[in-house]
Amino acid sequence: MKAISYIRILPLLCGALCVQPLYAQGLGKPRAEQEPASQPQSNPQPAEQVVSPRIGQSHVDTESGETPNPQVLGMELPLLDPSTDTMSYNGAKFDVGNNALVRARFEKYLQQNPDDSTEAKRYRKKLKGLLKLTQKSARTNREVGSETLLQIGNGLYEMNDYEGDGGVSGALASAIASAVSVQYANRSRNRKNEAMQREIDDLVEKTNMMTNRNTGRGRSTRSGAGGGGSSDNSTTNTFAIAHNTKQIAKMEAAGVKNDADSIAAMEISKVNFQSTIVSMLMQRRFDHALIGAHAYRHVFRDGDTTLKLDSDSQAARLFEGGVGMPPTVNAMATIASNLRREVDQNMEAVANMLAQNKLSDATQSLIQAVAVGEYMQSVATFPAESRRRIAEFWSLRRKALTTLNARDYGALEQIAARMKELDPDFDDSMLTSYCAGRKAQSDLHLRNAAKALQAGDDDTFNAELLKAGSIWPKNPNLEKGRQKLEQLDNQDPVREEFRTLMARKAYRTIYNEQDKFEVVALDPELKAQYKEAITLIGTIDGMLEQLEVAARQDTTMGPCMAYEMLLQRGAEDERYQEDSRYRDALNRFALGAHEFTQALDKAKLSEERREYGSALSNYYRAQCLYPRSTMAGEGVRRVTEIILKAKF
Amino acid sequence: MARKRRSSKNKKSQLPLVLGGGGGVLLLALAAAMVMKPADNAGDSPESRFSVADYRQDASRLTGNTYRLKARVENIETLGNDRLVAVSLPENSQERLPLLVRSGVTGRVNLTRGDTFVFEVVCRNGKDEQGLDVKGIMVVENVETK
Repeated sequence: MKAISYIRILPLLCGALCVQPLYAQGLGKPRAEQEPASQPQSNPQPAEQVVSPRIGQSHVDTESGETPNPQVLGMELPLLDPSTDTMSYNGAKFDVGNNALVRARFEKYLQQNPDDSTEAKRYRKKLKGLLKLTQKSARTNREVGSETLLQIGNGLYEMNDYEGDGGVSGALASAIASAVSVQYANRSRNRKNEAMQREIDDLVEKTNMMTNRNTGRGRSTRSGAGGGGSSDNSTTNTFAIAHNTKQIAKMEAAGVKNDADSIAAMEISKVNFQSTIVSMLMQRRFDHALIGAHAYRHVFRDGDTTLKLDSDSQAARLFEGGVGMPPTVNAMATIASNLRREVDQNMEAVANMLAQNKLSDATQSLIQAVAVGEYMQSVATFPAESRRRIAEFWSLRRKALTTLNARDYGALEQIAARMKELDPDFDDSMLTSYCAGRKAQSDLHLRNAAKALQAGDDDTFNAELLKAGSIWPKNPNLEKGRQKLEQLDNQDPVREEFRTLMARKAYRTIYNEQDKFEVVALDPELKAQYKEAITLIGTIDGMLEQLEVAARQDTTMGPCMAYEMLLQRGAEDERYQEDSRYRDALNRFALGAHEFTQALDKAKLSEERREYGSALSNYYRAQCLYPRSTMAGEGVRRVTEIILKAKF
Repeated sequence: MARKRRSSKNKKSQLPLVLGGGGGVLLLALAAAMVMKPADNAGDSPESRFSVADYRQDASRLTGNTYRLKARVENIETLGNDRLVAVSLPENSQERLPLLVRSGVTGRVNLTRGDTFVFEVVCRNGKDEQGLDVKGIMVVENVETK
């Protein structure tokens, strides 16, 4: 019964806050529509079209098996699903925590200081005292205009002076005063009726006496309105009797009217009082609702606490709790009492969860507590430090929602990490895996775009780039892609320069400015040339570095070895000879191995002049200086063979 | 060590004139005796020195000259019965001199690597298989053990 009433009354209480036609005003959107519509391929499910219902018509498809919400005056009542913290209304679902008005009120609450002023304390003390007084008076003798009722009224009027009361106490006091006035008016009418009844009784007695006298059965002949002789008296009595009869009828009618007026005034007074209590319950002023409910029994002592609602109305069913009993003021008192207890329990749970750093759960519980019992003492006096901690977590949660809507998954992951840091129990797995998935999707499209660019497929490139940007607009690789595109825009002059340098065999210039010329690699035609230039100079530089090291380690043969290797490489690949660094190194090593180079040069020259004796002798000399010389070795073998085959 | 023998006939033809001179007979006799002396200590005379560096520079300039060289065998390359021997001279072991040793020139002498021999060589020009010049080759005429 308690759970049912809580769940059913909460939407009613929050309804004014949460689920007014916010959707239509753009203040809140159903979850299904918060997903960006422009995300391509992000949701494999087809987007459902949202069809606006007519006024008063439920969005819920009754054929879907989902139970439609109850309706009051043709309007659908919002219902809360406590398992998911969502409110269903007009077929849409709203997150209680993700609602503009709830957010605004909750954030306002978090930023307020605890209401610990002297005035507030005095106010709450009086309120507590009045609650006790009304509960106590409900068990004792009740009397309209009693001292207890006077104390209740005065107490309420005093509390009305406190600014935070919002005039609720005054309204309740006025309702009580109004009801008491009606009671007094009814009492006055009752007294009038009693006086009239006595007068009627007198007139009846006189009339009876006159009637008896006329018929001679009475003892007195002087009594009556006129008195006098027998025949005249008889005439006079007849008129007097008629007059009395008329008077009696008038007074009877007046009495009946008074009774009717009393009953009507009483009913109106009850309805007014009940309305005041209901409105306080709706405003979440549970203490005042309880005081009103207890005072109701004090003011109206007829024992009738039935709410003056149409028994068939949805509102009546709402208060009766669905058990078939008529709704009463007592039921409202029970609801208010239960809600007070729920809020206090929630606040106690919040304090415990904060002590365990369970900020996520604490935030959820506090939202519910504030939504239901914003004006209750336990909520109003919630400590500032605890509010600050929850405000920080709440702010992160808001940022997470904002960044999620903005599809900034990088920032979202950072926020999730910070939330996890604040609350180790916070389950960020769904958030992080979602981010990772979206990022991967975006990167995949970017990769496809890069492939399309290389293939020269502009249409696919544009489409893939658009998809990547739609999924993750702040993808850092998009910025790299943008830079690439800028480079592409400028690539024609670069390409021309590259071609000129290649024609001049200025490989080292290309190598030194490879960042600049990297863009030409996107061109399939120039890609191979670009790679060739970079690879060639890289190879030369690597080889020169190794040779420098070797020449330093062995100053005798090192330069010979380096010179011979450079010479051989240059002979094998003419592009080497185009490189300035290669040429410089060759000259430097030739200087260091001048005897060796001189012997080789002389050997070649002599061989060309067919002076094979000198040639062979020079090759021998070169071999002595650098025994592992392949050039000298080959020369020796070649010339030896010529000499041995010659005839002298 | 090495001795140039090219001008011996001229000196013999001048001998009667010298002998005819009064004061220089004895001196000339001594000089002639020194010239005719066997080359046991070849190379003592400055003009008779053989330089591998000069040979490397221009071997064809030495064509026709005959030398008697004491040298150490460093390497031997063989083609048929002919051999090309790389030798080093005692005064410059870092230099190598190629000597062509034809078949039968060595007689009973067995050329082995690392041993020193006395070679009588002549700088000659030859022809290769295509009939082209092969200039400045030291051809061994005789080999003696040290």
